[in-house]
Amino acid sequence: MPLSATTGQRTTGKGMRRPSELLSKEDCLELFRQLYLARYFDVRLIKEKKRGRLRGTLYSSHNQEAVLVGSVFGLRPEDWVSPIHRDMPMFFLKDLRSGWQNPDRMGMSMQDVCSQIWGKVTSPGRARDNWSHIGSKAKHIIHSTSMLAGTIPAAAGVALAERLNGHDTVVVTFNGEGSTAQGVFHEGINFAAVHKLPVVTVVENNQWAYGTPAELECPTPDVADRAMGYGIPGLIADGQDVFDVYDKVMQAVEHARAGDGPSIVECKTFRAYGHGDHDDDRAARYRPQEEVKEGRSRDPIAVCRRRLLDLGYLDKGQAEMFLAENKGASQAKDDDFPEDVVAYMDQGIKFALGAALPPAEEAAWWVFKENH
Amino acid sequence: MAAPAAISAKRNYLNALNEALAEEMQRNPDMLCMGEDIGLLGGAFGVTDGLQARFGADRVIDMPISEAAIAGVATGAALNGKTVMAEMQFIDFISCGFDQIVNFMATYCYRTAGEVNIPVVVRGPGGGYGGGALYHSQMNEAWFCHSPGLKVVCPSTPYDAKGLMKAALRDGNPVIFYEIKELYRKTSIEEELPTEDYIVPLGKARVRRQGSDLTFITYGNNVYHCLDAANTLEQEGIHAEVIDIRTLVPLDEEAIYASIAKTNRVVVVNEAPMTCGFAGEIVARIANNAFEHLDAPPVRVTRLDTPVPWAKPLEEFALPMLTDVLEGARRVLRY
Repeated sequence: MPLSATTGQRTTGKGMRRPSELLSKEDCLELFRQLYLARYFDVRLIKEKKRGRLRGTLYSSHNQEAVLVGSVFGLRPEDWVSPIHRDMPMFFLKDLRSGWQNPDRMGMSMQDVCSQIWGKVTSPGRARDNWSHIGSKAKHIIHSTSMLAGTIPAAAGVALAERLNGHDTVVVTFNGEGSTAQGVFHEGINFAAVHKLPVVTVVENNQWAYGTPAELECPTPDVADRAMGYGIPGLIADGQDVFDVYDKVMQAVEHARAGDGPSIVECKTFRAYGHGDHDDDRAARYRPQEEVKEGRSRDPIAVCRRRLLDLGYLDKGQAEMFLAENKGASQAKDDDFPEDVVAYMDQGIKFALGAALPPAEEAAWWVFKENH
Repeated sequence: MAAPAAISAKRNYLNALNEALAEEMQRNPDMLCMGEDIGLLGGAFGVTDGLQARFGADRVIDMPISEAAIAGVATGAALNGKTVMAEMQFIDFISCGFDQIVNFMATYCYRTAGEVNIPVVVRGPGGGYGGGALYHSQMNEAWFCHSPGLKVVCPSTPYDAKGLMKAALRDGNPVIFYEIKELYRKTSIEEELPTEDYIVPLGKARVRRQGSDLTFITYGNNVYHCLDAANTLEQEGIHAEVIDIRTLVPLDEEAIYASIAKTNRVVVVNEAPMTCGFAGEIVARIANNAFEHLDAPPVRVTRLDTPVPWAKPLEEFALPMLTDVLEGARRVLRY
């Protein structure tokens, strides 16, 4: 369906169906299960940190899971993504549809991701950089840095190479609303737009960039308006609704795949906790309580549950099971999640706990490709 | 069946670079060139002249004025299997792409434990002596020598320019390649180049002149100041050796220490500011590893710790000139 190169919310063409309307019941239930998985991952890591079993900072994606799940669910296995710090679940969500236990899928296993979190040698980057700074050339995941929008030019470069190689692969990059104020955000999207490269920039507008509210990062209420300057579509999705995120990202992805160039997809959401767990206490003070309450009032699991009930994909009995929504990490219990979700994460943690730390001398290796 | 080396007509430094790029583009269909004005125009100085006509606009890409995007797009394309020459129209402008180079391009191999290597050569014209003033005269190589994961190269002759460029493009690591714009069309250094394929390996210095009384260690345009100084000293019966390091990272330390073991006196010359500059790094390594061979404290002859000013007397005062190099030599000889 054609997208016009203006701004604001795009609707599909007259009489055309939203991409999510083509999802099967099985797909919809899988979306729901993936939301649980992303939430459980977050809740469990917060618990592990409180137990003292983790080193480093956690950047919680609590309340933003619909953006992650909805954005990558419709991608082809060979499409590329570049997650940022709050997107840790994306490493295992990518191509998860190809089978949670499928070792050949184009995403990371929970063992990979937990190995990274625990700083073990089995991490995809052998624990040389921390938290979300992993990636995989083989799995088509670009490695981010702490410089946020810095991966957008790289995404354009990856897309350029894909096109030169004759592939119709799409690259989806992720940023917060804060990083849209960086110069490389402009340079990367500008170049991609000039060459109509298949780069979709998803902006997770969670209203807060560390301790700074969105209105001090962007002069327009909608970050999507930035698209106008590049003559590309700027779409806005309800970031609490996994189906709406899926619809808007898939519209942008198909637009890109058809050779019509990049888009910006702004997903309106809200950061549940502090910037990182070190910031939780201060965030409780610098953010108005009413705003936090409002921002967390539409839990993506609850929104999805209602939709599945409306579609008749859950009966009343099923709909009352696993009530994980609206529970902070300290309230949520393993019983609130489907058993297979808990088991999947357990298996990753068990693997990571049993894995070795990297040998110290590796610190000197791989400065250049011949050094190891 | 080694054919006799055919010899072409004389080439200047710029022709040599152009040939290196054209030959590598021909040899490697996965190689791209990107930079400002490099296609239609053929580059501000003409280093990429004719490449777009020959290899197409898909492979020789005119980039917007976006140095961070040039560095970042090059890194992304390299991540995805391409080899990229990324031009900075002047090496001064590389600062606009600094984060993309030092935090992204340079660290990729390290961060991925070698899963990813980034074959990108970021090249551009640097150096003063031409009235380019603050933003068209810089030698900022120390920034990149101080950033692990980057190799740093600076040739002084057409032969080395071509051979080092080819080696850099085949190296598989990111390389920052400093060209000296004052040498691009300097007729006195034109030379005949082999017509068959050759490289000059990274990390190998070249002894440009043999001597026994003191050693000049230098690179880039200052090689010629040192050769001129050695000629002057020769008339006084002093035999100076001149070492062109050619590659800063990795540095050919053996060549440096071997020369000092012979001459026992050393002057390091470059046109970057002195403080935290590469001349200081060379002197520090000599102090650590060749102290027992020294008969005099090593001397640095560098630019003043100032920007490069425009008006001729200002520029000549700020940059190391022949008289400064000679004075440095006399200091180590007098000690």
